[in-house]
Amino acid sequence: MPRLPLEGIRILDSTYVFALPYAGGHLADLGAEVIKIEGPGRPDVTRTGGYAGSFPENQAGEEWWNKPSTYNLLNRGKKSLVLDMGDERGRDLFRELVAVSDVVMENFTPRVMRRWNLDYPNLRKIKPDIILVSNTGYGHGDGPYSGYPAQATTQEATHGHCWVTGYLDDGPAKAGASFVDFLSTWSAIFALGAALRYRNRTGKGQWIDIAMYQAGVMFLSEYLMDAEINGREGGRMGNRHPYRAPQGCYPALGKDQWITLSVGSDEEWQSLCRLMGRDELASDARFGDILARRENHDELDEIIAEWTATTDKFELMHLIQGAGIPSGPVLTGRDIHFDPHYRHRGFLERVDFPAERGVGSRFLMGRPYKYSNTPMSIKGPGPKFGQNNEEMLKELLALDDATYQGLLDETIITTTPTSGDPSPQMEPARAVELGLLAEYDPDYLQRLGLV
Amino acid sequence: MLTGALEGVKVLDLSEDIAGSFCARLLADYGAEVLKVEPPGGAALRRMGPFFHDDPHPDKSLFYLVLNLNKKGATLNLETVTGQGILKRLAPQVDVIVETWRPGYLDSLGLGYEDLAELNPSLTMTSITPFGQEGPYSQYRGEEIVNYAMGMIMSISGVQGREPLKHGGFQAQYEGGLFAAATTSMALFGSEFTGQGEHIDVSITECIASTMMATQTMYPFMGGTQVRRRASGSMFGHPMPCQDGCIIVQTGGGASWEDLAEFFQCPEMLEERFADRAQRAVNGEELDRIVIDSIKERSKWELFPKAAEYRMLFGLVQTPSELVGCPQLESRNFFREIEHPVMGRVKVPAELFKLSETPYRLERSAPTLGQDNREIYVDGLEYDDRQFTQLRQLNVI
Repeated sequence: MPRLPLEGIRILDSTYVFALPYAGGHLADLGAEVIKIEGPGRPDVTRTGGYAGSFPENQAGEEWWNKPSTYNLLNRGKKSLVLDMGDERGRDLFRELVAVSDVVMENFTPRVMRRWNLDYPNLRKIKPDIILVSNTGYGHGDGPYSGYPAQATTQEATHGHCWVTGYLDDGPAKAGASFVDFLSTWSAIFALGAALRYRNRTGKGQWIDIAMYQAGVMFLSEYLMDAEINGREGGRMGNRHPYRAPQGCYPALGKDQWITLSVGSDEEWQSLCRLMGRDELASDARFGDILARRENHDELDEIIAEWTATTDKFELMHLIQGAGIPSGPVLTGRDIHFDPHYRHRGFLERVDFPAERGVGSRFLMGRPYKYSNTPMSIKGPGPKFGQNNEEMLKELLALDDATYQGLLDETIITTTPTSGDPSPQMEPARAVELGLLAEYDPDYLQRLGLV
Repeated sequence: MLTGALEGVKVLDLSEDIAGSFCARLLADYGAEVLKVEPPGGAALRRMGPFFHDDPHPDKSLFYLVLNLNKKGATLNLETVTGQGILKRLAPQVDVIVETWRPGYLDSLGLGYEDLAELNPSLTMTSITPFGQEGPYSQYRGEEIVNYAMGMIMSISGVQGREPLKHGGFQAQYEGGLFAAATTSMALFGSEFTGQGEHIDVSITECIASTMMATQTMYPFMGGTQVRRRASGSMFGHPMPCQDGCIIVQTGGGASWEDLAEFFQCPEMLEERFADRAQRAVNGEELDRIVIDSIKERSKWELFPKAAEYRMLFGLVQTPSELVGCPQLESRNFFREIEHPVMGRVKVPAELFKLSETPYRLERSAPTLGQDNREIYVDGLEYDDRQFTQLRQLNVI
């Protein structure tokens, strides 16, 4: 087996929800030993199935906290240690772990690690070359919002994303999932690779201070420049493009099925007219050049929608791409499990849970990249709550049995969360009725070959 | 003494577009020495606005500027045999090549990863494409809207009964660039121990898909397909209009439903018909009306700090100029100023994150077209003045 880049790197991952937990999962794929640390009364909220996570067969059941879909995707391949960081004994054990680790990741609001004397200056005293990765909503420091609570779904508005997203005839909109979380995920991986290389060459650690807000704003750089230099506020474009026309998302055959396409040149426009069987449009002055097509975009949208509505979305993609025009169907969470390209690339990996977990086998997303010389895969599902307590404390820190038992008795460590409830499950049919779910396939396990 | 975390890493940036340029810029921001290599006519990005004072001059694209900070720049025509030979002389001197051509194009010029790795086994080539290097769609053309569509995110963006909605701006391209920088940095760390490079295959569509945690996993876990929000009665949790803009509120965080009712000064929110998620869905139109009514006379700037007192998950829709003047970003030193040879002194969005020991540095502006040709070709590859002139005449540089 080729050597994975992070072999031999131990990471204490005291992070919650999406952004850094997902970074930790990817770092496990890359070969690191990642130890997820949670408090006895503070299981990761993704363990509750919150934020649209799913339980197997929609049933929370026994040990529900080890089962949710998003929890297992985000925390794949990690170990789990449950430790009460609110208690000085818990923090002492954490310090002992820091002394034998390479990296600490945390996403508490800025004051928490300081209050615990676990901020970067203090961690350095324990392990001089430690690398600390912090992710917060607005960043450390003395800025006016630094202490504000934050989460990606609402930050999408604050960092400017909603201003540029939305239908042309409607207000600012959120786009899909908790977008900015993942900018922190990948910023953390990028920064950590650089920091590890630096440590390898100089023997020095580093504090990586990531702010989701700042990352989100960075992704609007051209709008910021336009505002700064030209005094322009940008704004919503719907599904259109500043330079290409027509571009849009059009109905395809079937219920709620859609195809996108984007025409960038006059030649592409002429090809599209031929495909639509509307050669006369190619010489129609209303659409003759890019400026005219932008001007008469609404009319074009109607013409294209009429053509696409009677054909399957995949068939349309092959046709339109065959003519050299960018196009693709709107794929749903179901579609990608059956799409030949996703399948060919092995983007979805089958993860077999240990039998005692009662989860069976499921598909989880791997990585959006491949290394030619170093194949990777998901090492396993997310760990059970406290799965590696004994390994971490008795083996790694060499606690004796009596001390370990004492910690259990006082719930400094545990394998059962002392608080938290599974988020309520709604009958899928009812969810479809209320418009909270698009569709439900009762035979999904058969379709996926998982039974 | 290293002052940048990636100091000593040498990068050739062959990309013309947003994703590759952003990837290479991030490597440069944290210490790598990056040379932007463009065709003699300039990278496509030089023709993309916004432009400085709306003047569409190749050295005045503000988009090109922000994505190519901290880089040197040279021109090179890869479609000439001479140009290909020059790239083969440069390849052994670098650690990373970033490229975004259609899969197979560089191979057809004899400049693919296999060809160049023979000259330099520790070379990492980072290829960023819409669908990846192989697979049935690998030769298909991508665009922002296509990446969003095929990355699943459009299936849950927008409202039911209308067409799915794309993100504004060029988020997919930026994501591809950031993700590529991350995998490149990990490969560079790995090669510290193996001495071996990698061909990194980044798919922009998969970058988008990989963010769809709930959407993807819902199907194999319970057979459901996620959906766009309902067209009416679903404003709560989405941008809602107030007196001077829009705000957004999410349940959860440190605030209870009771806290939210108090914050909005809406005792009706505590009625039984809004008690849980299912009831709030059924009675969504009423909920929207009550909440939106309660904020129509209130300012987003008044509500923002107040929401923080309640430990609420709260946002306000900011405009680009509000972001340019944001005191939080100022406190983080996010914007920096740089002297550009054509545009003069400009303020640019600069620092993605903070590194304590090797801080971000803005050392050079984006290159003007062919700015460093002499340094690269005459000082570096030791072409004499006569040959340098010939390379220009032959449209190689």
